[in-house]
Amino acid sequence: MHETTAKPKPPSEIEDPPLPADPVIEAYKKDVDRTLLRQSLKMTVEERILSVQKLNQFIEELQRATRAK
Amino acid sequence: MITDFEALIRLLSQDSVEFILVGGIAAAAHGAARSTRDLDVVYRRSPENIARLVKALSCHAPYLRGAPPGLPFRFDRETVLRGLNFTLITDLGELDLLGEIVGGGNYEELLPYTVEVEIFGWTCRTIGLKRLIEVKRAAGRPKDLEAIAELEALLEERLKGRT
Repeated sequence: MHETTAKPKPPSEIEDPPLPADPVIEAYKKDVDRTLLRQSLKMTVEERILSVQKLNQFIEELQRATRAK
Repeated sequence: MITDFEALIRLLSQDSVEFILVGGIAAAAHGAARSTRDLDVVYRRSPENIARLVKALSCHAPYLRGAPPGLPFRFDRETVLRGLNFTLITDLGELDLLGEIVGGGNYEELLPYTVEVEIFGWTCRTIGLKRLIEVKRAAGRPKDLEAIAELEALLEERLKGRT
């Protein structure tokens, strides 16, 4: 689809030096639900995006229902 | 209004607009579980690409998001050339067109840090997970702290899966 002008770098999170740890982010990391992430990593990219869209639809419906009361 | 991510991605792709998915939708593409309302893309600011972008969106009522109705806003080549970042509402939902992003730069600067993903039958470019974390860190917004923590946890999970 795209005419690329620069050769994209392959995903190289393993080879690259790790990001420096930020103590604030490390503190937030303790509350991350890794079960959800592992579940998401089993999905295709398309499924992940559609899942966000479904969540947005659910939130919208919930808000509409709350407003109607 | 709920953003139709699929329709927006298809729309841009079928008109050969050169763009990179960034922000919340890029995070979701990498596996983040949090919700996002808009589609954020960094677009290439070449005259040809701007022409394709304008053509793709012209039938979808692009308007400045949050602006009062009735402003003399025209989404045309001149407007895009004069501006840089546009937060738009369209009849397909919320679309942020970014000429550049803090910590990531413009399309050409970001391109080496992208990965190709297959979505809805199209090959699109999305910012790499590590670069996305760096960009979010550079933006320094308190509201991003939880999102960064989730992205870093994702990176760890991916590394664990590969080793």
